[in-house]
Amino acid sequence: MSFQITDIPRILPELMLLLLGLLVLGSDVLTRWGRGPQAQFERAREAGQLTATGLGLVFIVGLVQSRFLFTVPDPTGGPLDVLLTLGRNLQAGGPGGSPILGAFATDEFTMVARLTFIGAAFLTTLLAMGYRLTANPGEFYSLLIFSALGMSIMAAATEFILAYLALELSSISLYVLAGYFRESERSPEAGLKYFLFGSLSSAILLYGISLVYGFVASENQKAGGTPIVATLFAEVGRFATGDAASSPLLILGMLFIIAGLGYKISVVPFHTWAPDVYQGAPPPVTAFLSTASKAAGFLLLYRLLTTAFPGAVGAPRLEEFNGWSSILAILALVTVIVGNLAALPQTNARRLLAYSSIGHAGFLLLAVLLWSSTSPVDRTFGTAALIYYLIVYSLTNLGSFGVLAVLTNALGSDDLSAMQGLWRRNMPLTLMMTVLILSLAGIPPLAGFWAKFFVFMAGYQAGAVPLVTIAVIMTVVSLYYYLRFLKAMWILPAPETTPFRTPPVANAAIIVSTVLVVLLGLLPNLIWGTLSSAASVAAR
Amino acid sequence: MNLIDLPANVPWLSLIWLSLAIPTFIIALLKPEQKQEIRMVGAIFSFISLVLTLLVYLAYDYRSPETFQFLEEIPWLPELGINYILGVDGISLPMLLLNGLVIFTGALISWNIEDRTREYWALLLLLAAGVYGVFVSLDLFLLFIFYELAVLPMYLLIGIWGSTRKEYGAMKLTLYLMGGSAFIILGMVAVYFSGTLRTFDMRLLAQSALFSRDVQIVFFVPLFLGFAVLAGMFPFHTWSPTGHVAAPTAVSMLHAGVLMKLGAYGCLRVAMWIFPEGANYWLLPIAIATLINAVYGASIAMTQRDFKFMIGYSSVSHMGLTLMGLAAANTIGMTGAVLQMFAHGVMTALFFAVVGRMVYDRTHTRQFPELGGLFTVMPFAAIVFIIAGLSSMGMPGLAGFWAEFNIFMGMWQRFPLIAVLAGISIPITAGYILIAVYRVFFGEIKNPEFRHLPKLTVQEYAAGIILVVVLIVSGLYPAYLTEPIEASMQPIAEALARAGTLGMR
Repeated sequence: MSFQITDIPRILPELMLLLLGLLVLGSDVLTRWGRGPQAQFERAREAGQLTATGLGLVFIVGLVQSRFLFTVPDPTGGPLDVLLTLGRNLQAGGPGGSPILGAFATDEFTMVARLTFIGAAFLTTLLAMGYRLTANPGEFYSLLIFSALGMSIMAAATEFILAYLALELSSISLYVLAGYFRESERSPEAGLKYFLFGSLSSAILLYGISLVYGFVASENQKAGGTPIVATLFAEVGRFATGDAASSPLLILGMLFIIAGLGYKISVVPFHTWAPDVYQGAPPPVTAFLSTASKAAGFLLLYRLLTTAFPGAVGAPRLEEFNGWSSILAILALVTVIVGNLAALPQTNARRLLAYSSIGHAGFLLLAVLLWSSTSPVDRTFGTAALIYYLIVYSLTNLGSFGVLAVLTNALGSDDLSAMQGLWRRNMPLTLMMTVLILSLAGIPPLAGFWAKFFVFMAGYQAGAVPLVTIAVIMTVVSLYYYLRFLKAMWILPAPETTPFRTPPVANAAIIVSTVLVVLLGLLPNLIWGTLSSAASVAAR
Repeated sequence: MNLIDLPANVPWLSLIWLSLAIPTFIIALLKPEQKQEIRMVGAIFSFISLVLTLLVYLAYDYRSPETFQFLEEIPWLPELGINYILGVDGISLPMLLLNGLVIFTGALISWNIEDRTREYWALLLLLAAGVYGVFVSLDLFLLFIFYELAVLPMYLLIGIWGSTRKEYGAMKLTLYLMGGSAFIILGMVAVYFSGTLRTFDMRLLAQSALFSRDVQIVFFVPLFLGFAVLAGMFPFHTWSPTGHVAAPTAVSMLHAGVLMKLGAYGCLRVAMWIFPEGANYWLLPIAIATLINAVYGASIAMTQRDFKFMIGYSSVSHMGLTLMGLAAANTIGMTGAVLQMFAHGVMTALFFAVVGRMVYDRTHTRQFPELGGLFTVMPFAAIVFIIAGLSSMGMPGLAGFWAEFNIFMGMWQRFPLIAVLAGISIPITAGYILIAVYRVFFGEIKNPEFRHLPKLTVQEYAAGIILVVVLIVSGLYPAYLTEPIEASMQPIAEALARAGTLGMR
């Protein structure tokens, strides 16, 4: 097990992200910019364009490499041979093969995750370009790219140290981004709060990892002491089976790991930072934070639990502890209840969506529960449901936080009351927001409905019928606060009726997410097939 | 027997729901100022949809052993057994026709909407398209999607164009109905995983051998209750009068006329069809709840001072009778239930057209003490209201008579005591209808301004005449409804009867 030169194409998108980040940073820092608002505007635009172009390119490379759309044919001796050869070499690094050094898996699961994060970063860049950025745009965009890089590695990691480093890379970039508006009142507070919570959680996570490492190393010692890398998920999985799976040391380590990652995916009771940070961070950052960051946390958690602790899965029963699925069931229960109930009295739109996204984390956990089933069909279904939900949720929240970013920019406020009579002021934006909100609420035929239905199916099949019942009831509760958006935008009288324009780039991002939400709702099988195959790899 | 033949290679049922979904987009492309064009587009397309339903109705062969005709099957998400399957039988056909009638007359009645005309028409047509979709779906999943599509536009329609506590009414209605659909989702998931087929095709699911008795008994409850909320079953009916009163006229017509029928249709088509043993187990509680519905709803209607609230509660009472027909679980009772859906849909649309549009939009009051003597001012409104009222009382010669007759016959065979007790609702209904007619249309004119009310418009006349004609024709020649209904109801009733004998053992 050593690093081969042929492994480089397998991590090509990550390498490209790294280069892109440095390029964006360097091109901004090394250029002598004039002073004044016009120069600032140019500077921000240039950094944004470079980032958007670069991310678009990386996305295309990743898409071609994943072979989701097509397989490049053999060179035929025509004029396009150069391209075909390039494509084939690229796809040679596509899904498949054992993890690089046992630590970095490049299966279809990674490919889907990578595309999700790069796509989310791309849309976020578009949103940020429509937003007034004050200081150091190069810094802003490169941090965004580094964060996406960290997330891609997180989803691919099959080793504890790499996973931890990737998590830190993405988190530390996000701490800075959350506090990026230094002159505003809330943004530095958000950054600091996020940082304090985040570093505490990292410490807990690291402690959990060290316990698990200790467990594996000592078990290995007992078994004869062949040299192994005791932080590989697969090695942990090899030792954490049978009776050893219920060893208190291992269970404690696992609990700490779940708690440490619980902050990343903002499940109750590790959620308290989320509303403040979502409300205080610059709006495009909030869009990124609530989608890609949460998705990365979920994917890492999923891969970690299923490959390192398959022996400790138990059954998702609420009344007794019997493995991680019962812990997740309890977390899901409190998360759907607290997230949705706490959203009810909110008056600030971003804070409301923050609580709603906590509620969504609870629904997402339902999909993970299905791994407790022993049938591979079920496991595949659960995994596909999880990824489908994550993709749809990311698209929808990017769109809706994007709308709120536009509103904050144009109206100076993102309170629900500021949205009153929006239909009179900006009809296209109102329509798109309506679609996005309804998708969040899970109204057919939008993509959010399928996502919810799939996770309910997964939860039911996992045997957690009471939990699913409560989750279904909570969707009705959530409908109340989602309808408040519709009420504000369409029904309540407008305090002001002057129309305003949506910045074209931000508009493009919102249109893309809205169209995809509708399209995936009408034709869910567009990605369901791909996801099922990705899931069957991950669910082995 | 079918009267006409239609070319087989045309997707007639898709055309029916698309004929209302497509104009939604056409209207969205028009400018807000082009009100007349918007109305014309809406009216023309709803007329086309009515004609299409009529064609399909006439071309349906109810003597054929193939119960479901005009089938269309397109794979949608075949990995999960979710497909786009359309088809109609004798039960869904009258419902289709009803929706066509109500949306067309509703379109005529909506002519006076001046505020945000474009959005109003787009939402109205979208709602009706969803209703069509439910009646033609044979895939449970597809049915549910159309069902939600039919429910959600209500929120905006009531919230924006409604009256009398509209925001409260809209929110209450939506939350109740979505609460119902939450139950349905739960039931659907259970249906999917409890059987061995992993499909949502209701024709396959209805082979009851798939489900064990316990599964049927447990999961019949969420499925039935979910739809029963929309049908206004006691004690989940309170959203309905509030919603009716708050809604603009055409929406009340669609809502009470068709949407509540969606609920009853779902109870029959989904819950009772897929889980016959479950249905048999719960018949008595359902029958008792519907008895309360019928009698209590009628009594509350009697005490109302608001004209529209009275009609709202009368809907609750009549929907109670519909569900009672279903609870009889025999061919005659359930045929009566479907007839009642049709008859009540037409007459309640007529009621709301008179109350909301002809009376309220002119007098700006719905309180009985302030109304009176309107017969001299608008005799047409009075006459159609009286005809609808007579049908509502079950007067022979009108559609309502056959419906109630069959329901009571059916119930008499199942639970005679409940049939007798439910009979009380008939004199109460007669009472409140006559009181309303007397207070609104006869007596002296309370308000001198009422002498100079604007004349009825052509559209109002047309809508009134169409609905009255349908009521009378269905009363004089009910066979055109009962024969297809009975033919399709037979197998369902037999399955229920078989399930009943199984339960006895």
